[in-house]
Amino acid sequence: MTTRTEFLSRIRTEVGKTPGLFSARTAPRPSDPRAVSETIKRELAERWPQALERFQLEFERVAGVFHRAASIAVVPQVVAGIARENEVRRLVAWDAPELGADLLDALTARGLEPFAMPPGDLADATERAELRRRVADAELGLTGVDLAIAETGTLVLRSGAGRPRSTSLLPACHIAVFDRTALIETLGQAGVFLELWNRGELEGRIGAVTSFITGPSRTADIELTLTRGVHGPKEVHAIFVDQAIRG
Amino acid sequence: MSETDLSVPFRRRAGSALGDKHLQEALTIATTKFIGLRRDAFDEFPEGERLRDLAREIKEATLQHLHRYVEQLIDSVERLGGHVHYATTPEEARRVVLDIAARTGARMAVKSKSMASEEIHLNEALEAAGVIPIETDLGEYIIQLAHERPSHIIAPAIHKTKGQVADLFAKELKRQVAADPEELTRIARVELRQKFLEADLGITGANFAVADTGTVVLVTNEGNGRMVTSLPRVHVAVMGVEKVVPSMTDLMVFLQILAKSATGQKLSVYTTLVRGPRRPGELEGPDEFHLVLLDNGRIRQIAGPLREALYCLRCGACLNVCPVYRQIGGHAYGYTYPGPIGILLTAMLEGPGSVKDLAHASSLCGACADACPVRIDIPKMLVELRREIHEARIAPWTERLAYGLMEKVLASPSLYRWSKPLARLLQRPFARDGRIRSVPLAFTEWTRTRDLPALAPQTFHEQWPTLK
Ligand code: SF4
Repeated sequence: MTTRTEFLSRIRTEVGKTPGLFSARTAPRPSDPRAVSETIKRELAERWPQALERFQLEFERVAGVFHRAASIAVVPQVVAGIARENEVRRLVAWDAPELGADLLDALTARGLEPFAMPPGDLADATERAELRRRVADAELGLTGVDLAIAETGTLVLRSGAGRPRSTSLLPACHIAVFDRTALIETLGQAGVFLELWNRGELEGRIGAVTSFITGPSRTADIELTLTRGVHGPKEVHAIFVDQAIRG
Repeated sequence: MSETDLSVPFRRRAGSALGDKHLQEALTIATTKFIGLRRDAFDEFPEGERLRDLAREIKEATLQHLHRYVEQLIDSVERLGGHVHYATTPEEARRVVLDIAARTGARMAVKSKSMASEEIHLNEALEAAGVIPIETDLGEYIIQLAHERPSHIIAPAIHKTKGQVADLFAKELKRQVAADPEELTRIARVELRQKFLEADLGITGANFAVADTGTVVLVTNEGNGRMVTSLPRVHVAVMGVEKVVPSMTDLMVFLQILAKSATGQKLSVYTTLVRGPRRPGELEGPDEFHLVLLDNGRIRQIAGPLREALYCLRCGACLNVCPVYRQIGGHAYGYTYPGPIGILLTAMLEGPGSVKDLAHASSLCGACADACPVRIDIPKMLVELRREIHEARIAPWTERLAYGLMEKVLASPSLYRWSKPLARLLQRPFARDGRIRSVPLAFTEWTRTRDLPALAPQTFHEQWPTLK
């Protein structure tokens, strides 16, 4: 078997044989991603209505369904509306602190069967298997959003404790709730946040996966006919909350 | 599968593709559609051209220090609890995956589309070892059921009609289904959902791997990439060593042009950034993460004539615009990677001898280089490859003889002068209306599918003195 040393030294030897095709540099990185990310957010504090408008336009172009709610208290009503339209009621949600609010009672009151994900890992294998079955059987998945990118209508979700990957993946309908603190304008800006999240201080606290989600799952593999909901959700809803979710 | 059988010469494989009316139609529709979608996406995106230059520069900069970035990638992955493996050959790569499967007692593996795993013929090896491989990309799933190979990098089953897919599902899944893409997709969703939940092993490729953070990046539209990296207890990513990019900032440059080039989308539906195994506190995700770094001929090209082919993002744009690919489709090429870039990659993986015919399956029109998001100069490398094949005496003797004579004649003014009357004499039995439609003996191949212009009664060179 090839070892690390052999493998790397072979690459080094070949690299040493050539000066390359032309002089080239990698993309300039933000030296202080935290400062840059804060500047982005500060600027967005004024420009957010334009960004939101663009987000809605692009999100709808990729077949997302956009909703707007005055405050987080109105969200259960919107969710119930989506459930009614799809004639479903089983819902799984991120843990309340990750979502930004505890909506379980309000959802139950509106006739749904909501279930919140545990705040961390489960030690017991049977319990874990049972939970997975529950998520696989759920029809609706309710999550928060870490970034909403206007340029592409993309939702960025980090995995982690209380925010498992499957909530936005297994149910046929994904509902994501966000406010203006998540809004950014471009993919380039998203890069600054990725630089930030993957650095020392945050590294240990976030989960292993960051998902960029741009509309519902789709394929055109049979005769180029666009079909939605191959493996991931068939529907993606984004609920924008006007009043900041976390007070 | 005669059309992909390598014992059949390329011209016969191409010939049978040209005779397949359905294939011709499917290819025209698909490639024309992709070309339009790509053009619209870039028209709407004025920064596109600058980003293409930037992306090209990043690829080159990465190659100039590849050892450093690969080392950084390895360290980052290991720091997060992942394991890195090194494979010089396809056999070695297969062995690594089989060992992991055996050690973890895996019985079933779900796979998201990965050209690297096609390249090393992983499925056959898994099957032989008693592990059931399941392709989960819908197109790949269809061709796996049909025991075929992908015909396009990003649309593997474009050569199949919905009727053929319905028949296939009826036979293999024992379900009667209408020949309706929506319905067929629904059946596949149900079938594959169960597999995702049952499988022990998730196998993926990688569109990129970020050295700075140890992140493997998967781009899909269906969501199978997310399933495969979230549900099974072990995740193995197999990746060509050239896929490394230095930082998240670099990654974003590529993401801005990749989907636009491939399908005309601003971004594919899912871009999944995976950093090692499940973290403490995380409910889901694999317990083990393995990254297999694959050489298979790539490393020696860092300083070789095919260096630029190492920039390739596998977007498929060069296939869609290629007048040869558009006529013959992916199968006729006979190897894992079709189209113009496929010829270069095949030469890289299998050696130049493997493409002695394929190297000529290009009109050198340059459409591929124009479409390529990282502006790979494919035609230049094809010409270089033809020269190498000629010099290595891999080309047929007739061709070598013809080019050898040509070289002598063109290099010497007196020979050139004498050759003209001789050539006029020789062409007399074959030339009609200024064209030579067939030549005899060992040279017939040359004129089987094309005409040669006959030598003019007076060449420009001969006319020159009188023109003055
Ligand atoms: S050579 Fe360029 S156009 Fe062709 S698949 Fe690779 S990146 Fe895409």
